[in-house]
Amino acid sequence: MREPPYPTELKPYGRALVEEARRRADIWCLSGDLTKQTEVDLFQAEFPDRFIHGGMAEANMMSMAGALARCGFSPFVHTFGVFATRRPYDQIANAIAYPNLPVRIIGFMPGVSTPGGPSHQAIDDVALMRALPNMTVVDVADAVETRQVVSAIADVPGPVYVRLKRGEIPVIFDDHHLLHLGRASVVVAGTDVALFASGMMLAAALAAARVLGSRGVSVSVVNVPVIKPLDSATVLSAAAGARLVVTAENHSIIGGLGSAVAETIAEAGLGRPLRRVGLRDTFAEGSLDAPYLLDRYGLSTSALVETIWSALGQPGAAPAVPVLAAEAGEYSPV
Amino acid sequence: MHVSDPGVRWAVPDAGELALRIRLRAVRMIAPQGFGYLGQALSSAEQVAAVFASARPGVDRLVCSPGHYIIGPFAAAAELGLIDVSGYGQNGSAFEAIGTERSPVVDYTCGSLGQGLSGALGFALADRFRGSDARIFTMVSDGELEEGQVWEAALFAAHHRLDRLVVLLDANNSQVDGPVDSITTLEPIAAKWSAFGWHVIDLDGHDVPAVCSALAAAAAERERPSVLVCRTSTRHGLDCLPPDADGHFIKLPPALAAAATAELTGKLEALRA
Repeated sequence: MREPPYPTELKPYGRALVEEARRRADIWCLSGDLTKQTEVDLFQAEFPDRFIHGGMAEANMMSMAGALARCGFSPFVHTFGVFATRRPYDQIANAIAYPNLPVRIIGFMPGVSTPGGPSHQAIDDVALMRALPNMTVVDVADAVETRQVVSAIADVPGPVYVRLKRGEIPVIFDDHHLLHLGRASVVVAGTDVALFASGMMLAAALAAARVLGSRGVSVSVVNVPVIKPLDSATVLSAAAGARLVVTAENHSIIGGLGSAVAETIAEAGLGRPLRRVGLRDTFAEGSLDAPYLLDRYGLSTSALVETIWSALGQPGAAPAVPVLAAEAGEYSPV
Repeated sequence: MHVSDPGVRWAVPDAGELALRIRLRAVRMIAPQGFGYLGQALSSAEQVAAVFASARPGVDRLVCSPGHYIIGPFAAAAELGLIDVSGYGQNGSAFEAIGTERSPVVDYTCGSLGQGLSGALGFALADRFRGSDARIFTMVSDGELEEGQVWEAALFAAHHRLDRLVVLLDANNSQVDGPVDSITTLEPIAAKWSAFGWHVIDLDGHDVPAVCSALAAAAAERERPSVLVCRTSTRHGLDCLPPDADGHFIKLPPALAAAATAELTGKLEALRA
């Protein structure tokens, strides 16, 4: 893995979709009036015959995508995550999830990564999609995984929801890192705490583990790119080897990664204290930028460090998190 | 079995007679339960019969947007010898009263209303891309026009000039809470579709030759999608129904079922005489 500040890439998803579409003539691309924002202007330019402007009509777009999949095509549907899930939920349930069709729903701008206010923040998309039978739910951590996610999901027989950060995407993993849909991975080994992170929170989790490690708290960091189906074997193994289980997600603590991990360890009878870091059942207001929101709503590296420090009953104040300046084009977790 | 499956074959020598047989079959299908979506079969019998008389077996597609109407296509397919509907509506049956993914005959149906036309668009796009001229016969109910998605789909279809698409809009003025026009003013229905860029034919939905001719006119239209605004009644063709019968969900106790069967059998015999 690389060290922060991380270099960033632009449009890793958009380029990966074009590459996959060159190999597979069955891939269609639908966009809900967010073509550049979801990086599929690249697809539109190269494959105009397989590109459809759905317009601002998400319900219609999801139902059409289901029918295209019935006809043997592999539709990738693009909009912001909040519009991809809340607005057309019944359509996704009935036209895509129930018939178990290979429609790929790509929702950009997860959680509080946007200054767009509560109307634009996908804080419950993982919970909503996880509740649908047949649905696979993916929240990748960096550009290396984003580059691989298109080919990784292309052959899943049923529907897939992928949430993707928009804009500059950090490169955290080395280029040889492999994304496995069936596997969560222990990216840092530790003995005191099992810290499970998905999506954008991986960078903060790694930073928190580093700070805590310097003060004698040993944290294992588990990257969980697939929240459903959850790699319960890796989750249980990591949780069993720790005194404290912590989850970190750019999402409500209700229904997402934290809930999935909680259900898994509870059903296995594995008694471990649990802390869920994420949006604490609240909408997130008052934003100019994502760092402000991540800090204010407790999704920062400091919040992770303080949560773990306190849950372990460590004496004194939690260690301070050094500010890591990022140049233009670089990414540091908040 | 779906109407567009390659190799499927049927023939409809007399669409009027088929409409009558759909009514009789529908009565027999719901009689064991004593209730069901008979009103939907009564209002759409001519439309369903006209579709089976007009569609090319194994080529054209049938979408039944309101899943409650699935009884009509089931009844028609049973009368044409395509399926055996015994067990309809019973526990464990693939023939559920509201259409599901397991429902045969139709290419697509939705129990959650207002979504079928969007599915029909997906079929139309896929068929056009592959160079197929398959028609997509799409049953829609007037109550569904209260759902915004129908209008999203109507805009999309006209913009993309999906001319192989034809909507049979069952304007029976019936929804769960009462007459549609007492709940929401939909009129002028024809002018609305016309304003959305559709080829519109407003007609008596119980006039089988008129419905068949309108479907032929829709086939000849090569610029716009077509909609047949079929003016119908949920009580049509079954005189024995009490005046207060709930058109959305008709109760059919044994005595009424026997009367309905006798009435429709008599009409069928008279037609064949």
